[in-house]
Amino acid sequence: MPTTIADPVSAIRRMPPTRSSRWYLPFATGSLLLAAWWLAWSAGAFPTGTVPSPADVASAFATEAHSGRLLENVISSLYRIAWGYLSATITAIPLGLVIGRSVSTRNAILPWINFFRNLSPIAWIPFAIIWFGIGDPPAIFLIFLATFFQIVLATAAATGSVPSVYYRVAREMELGSVRVVFEVTFPAILPQLVIALRVAAGVAWMVVVAAEMIAVRSGLGFLIVDARNGLRMDLVICGMLVIGLIGVALDIVFARLAKIDSVRWGFER
Amino acid sequence: MTEMVLEARGIGFNYGSLVVIERLDLAVAKGEFVACVGPSGCGKTTLLALLGGHIAPTRGTLQRCGRSRTIYQDGGLFPWLTVHNNIALGLSARRDAATRERKVAEWLAVTRLTEYADLYPHQLSGGMRQRAELARALAAEADILLLDEPMGALDYQTRLRMRRELCATLRERTRTVVFVTHDIEEAVQLGDRVIVLGPRPTRVRRVIALPPGRPRLPTAPGVPDAEQAIMEELGLT
Repeated sequence: MPTTIADPVSAIRRMPPTRSSRWYLPFATGSLLLAAWWLAWSAGAFPTGTVPSPADVASAFATEAHSGRLLENVISSLYRIAWGYLSATITAIPLGLVIGRSVSTRNAILPWINFFRNLSPIAWIPFAIIWFGIGDPPAIFLIFLATFFQIVLATAAATGSVPSVYYRVAREMELGSVRVVFEVTFPAILPQLVIALRVAAGVAWMVVVAAEMIAVRSGLGFLIVDARNGLRMDLVICGMLVIGLIGVALDIVFARLAKIDSVRWGFER
Repeated sequence: MTEMVLEARGIGFNYGSLVVIERLDLAVAKGEFVACVGPSGCGKTTLLALLGGHIAPTRGTLQRCGRSRTIYQDGGLFPWLTVHNNIALGLSARRDAATRERKVAEWLAVTRLTEYADLYPHQLSGGMRQRAELARALAAEADILLLDEPMGALDYQTRLRMRRELCATLRERTRTVVFVTHDIEEAVQLGDRVIVLGPRPTRVRRVIALPPGRPRLPTAPGVPDAEQAIMEELGLT
């Protein structure tokens, strides 16, 4: 009869990850961080007025949420993101497709795309205020700048790397040039494009906060800077938490996009 | 008089200063199966690209009667489309939806892929992918099939099966085929004629005609002699 040797370490390594672990593990690590914060605050590890207690933050969150101000600020930020990010996406993808397919356009434009891509959107703030004044337009403009050049570059790189064999097949199928763009080039670059759009969405979310700290009087960025001016660090952390949670939610949406059949092939080959 | 569907006279092709093909003559009759063998890197794929009209010869004249479809070694199936949609897309320019569906179903059945119609290329085995490519090319009813080492990536048993299936399909639906391979045995078993190409710059070194009947057994009359002749021509003996 074979002898069974108990080896708990190997047994744990062999355990397949369960679906529920994707939910309870982040919750568990979050609870640990919260407990550490609470303990440090209770032990007086932070100088007075620098870091609030978790209870203060929870209370600030409840007050802001109940008053409706938090929702208004979230909507304001998302509104700016939607306009800046979507307008950048709609204009950048066609330009990237042209740059990727045409050598002369690539030579003429790509160095300038790289030039502007390396300029921090924050450097544009003075111009954004002079050109668009105060309100939504300068923030939308900054989000557009932060994402447009990134998406153009990613689209162009993906388009340039589409295997030529696909175009030969399309030619033999007698597909017209418009059908080639929509039925060959675009689906061929879609997996890489989804990754680029996911990264750009994160950048847009970071930039909207920076833009709202300067040019507008609403939004989560404004909430943070306004709370700091009033020395309400509980509200500052409340704003930070909401920003982080919405960022995670946006990322989950893009991760789901990568599971659509017409995109998933790019990750499974 | 035999009708020629492909006729190359003294064609040459350069990649920059590199001469890939030089003064190559080739004539392929309607319904003929021509196999081209040659050493690695001799320009076999370039020759197929020329015959398919994807690149123009630098010198000489090339005439092609009818439409051609190429089956690629590295996989020309669109990975974002299912097997069904890969075949259907190839028919979309010429047929209405009902005819297209009927044709797709027919070719899925011929290539024994009906139950895999909704799978994507990366979900198929190498042999299935090649069958799907074959179905896509044949469904389009192209007059000329250009096969670029289509069985190069398959294991030996699958290759033997694919050879038989290709021959059976061509018996029922005759096409003109130019088949490029580095596999001497494959060329001799499948081709009506075997064109032996020399090292770069590529020219035709020898043409070997084979007796009718495809695929030929390794011991069939003419097969061992043809293999020996090709090996000698390529300096492999």
